[in-house]
Amino acid sequence: MSQFVVLLKKELLESWRNFKWIWMPLTFILLGVMDPITQNYLPKILDTMGDLPEGAVIQLPVPSAEEVISMSLANIDMLGILILVLASMGIIAGERKSGVAAMILVKPVSHHYFVMSKWLSSLLLMWISLFLGLLASWYYTGLLFEFIPFSDFLLSFVLYGIWLSLVITITIFYNAFLKTPGLVGFISLATIIILNMVSGILTEWLAWSPARLMSYASQSLMQDGLPENTIASIVLTVLIMIVLLFTSVFIFRKKELAV
Amino acid sequence: MSIISVNGLRKSFNGLEIIKGIDFSLQEGNCIALLGPNGAGKTTTLRMLSGLMEPTTGTITFRNGTKGEDIRKYIGYLPQYPVFYDWMTGFEFLMYVGELGGLSKKKSKEKSLQLLELVGISEAKNRKVGKYSGGMKQRLGIAQAIIHDPLLLMLDEPVSALDPFGRREVLELLEKLKKQMTILFSTHILNDAEEVCDELLFLHNGQLVESGTLESLRNRHQKSKIDLEFKEKPEKYLNSITESGLISSMNVEGNKASITVVNLDEAKQTIFQHASTNNWPLTKFEISRLTLEDLFMEVVQK
Repeated sequence: MSQFVVLLKKELLESWRNFKWIWMPLTFILLGVMDPITQNYLPKILDTMGDLPEGAVIQLPVPSAEEVISMSLANIDMLGILILVLASMGIIAGERKSGVAAMILVKPVSHHYFVMSKWLSSLLLMWISLFLGLLASWYYTGLLFEFIPFSDFLLSFVLYGIWLSLVITITIFYNAFLKTPGLVGFISLATIIILNMVSGILTEWLAWSPARLMSYASQSLMQDGLPENTIASIVLTVLIMIVLLFTSVFIFRKKELAV
Repeated sequence: MSIISVNGLRKSFNGLEIIKGIDFSLQEGNCIALLGPNGAGKTTTLRMLSGLMEPTTGTITFRNGTKGEDIRKYIGYLPQYPVFYDWMTGFEFLMYVGELGGLSKKKSKEKSLQLLELVGISEAKNRKVGKYSGGMKQRLGIAQAIIHDPLLLMLDEPVSALDPFGRREVLELLEKLKKQMTILFSTHILNDAEEVCDELLFLHNGQLVESGTLESLRNRHQKSKIDLEFKEKPEKYLNSITESGLISSMNVEGNKASITVVNLDEAKQTIFQHASTNNWPLTKFEISRLTLEDLFMEVVQK
């Protein structure tokens, strides 16, 4: 166990030194505050900037606070995922490519701990960035529209965070058997997009799909209690994560590390 | 006692056989050089021994081979081109590797400082590894390989990237380490092998072509050879001894002659006689010792 702590500490130190702990939370905060602000000022912006004829009346429905927050979620769902994948696509593949993984794993280091430490450190960074991003969205929505109950915000944050955990797990999984970070990024994104598309089209059939968690997260803002199938979707997502993690360790152990 | 033994080791990449079945065992406390030209399979062999590569067939047994034991804790390995985390300082990297090797934080710190001193880069310990020179990286590589006190230290071309001073120092370091652990290092620089090693393994085209102690190899391959050097062209003097039947071959180059003889003692006497009676203008007489280079050439060409 102490070895795991050593490995995890190294991962956290590395992401601190290459500023991931600065730019990732900042990006999520930016994504989070964008929608409350643009939604609030959009009519004014159109009024002053838009090249509209004299006397034209713009009537935009004022969105509810819940709608604004789910817009932030949708925003993070596009750019946030891209950023997460880009940030973790080289986490093992890069070390294997450079050869430093061989330097480390020739020591009595558990492959399990090696993979898990990278997974956990990426997860920590993601959960904290997501929390700060959504918190900023909640706060600005509160200021500019109205405050929604904090517990509602927490619920949608957790639901959405579970989906992003799977995104990271998928990236780590491809990291375990591909050596080129760019390829890992591409295939991870492709997997996520396909999963998203298929689950979006076959909503009835794939109600348990992990990719549905995003819409459950925004639905949970609009209604009391959990949307239907949410629990099943969570259980399935966690199961897939466990299977992917174990498979990655298994594949990684079989890989020849020498470059 | 043998520390590691290798049986029928083979390795293929995409159907191309790189290691074609080698067997050997290393005695504890020895320093062994793995010699061979480029592409002989030295690196591949070391990688298999260190566990970084799976052999295609064959077995590697460590000590008496407790089943299922993680042998990595007994092994220190330095690849030919060591790589580090560039964002760490040399000291941090050693600390990290030491703790991964099972040392406590305190012990690892102590050991890291001590090793940085030993390999001579302690003044750069707080500099980022990314800023290290090639020689410094090589030294840091040696330090990280021995931080967990391995029983077997394997070094892949540890000195080829170093300048003459660096080489000298690393060889002296190996001389010291020899007392604490078994060392196996690959090289194509023959002098280095001759200097620190007790035992040699010759690898050529994926096969072990020769092995043994330097002395036993010398005895096995020693040819009776005499080198002569004259003040002028030697041909006219040497004619007198070519007829004696003592000489199996002769090679003349400028003022030098190198003579392979059938019987060293008889030939020596004959040459001395001729030299004194005919008053040869000799500047040098040497019974040549087989150098590692000769041995290398011979073994490789065989």
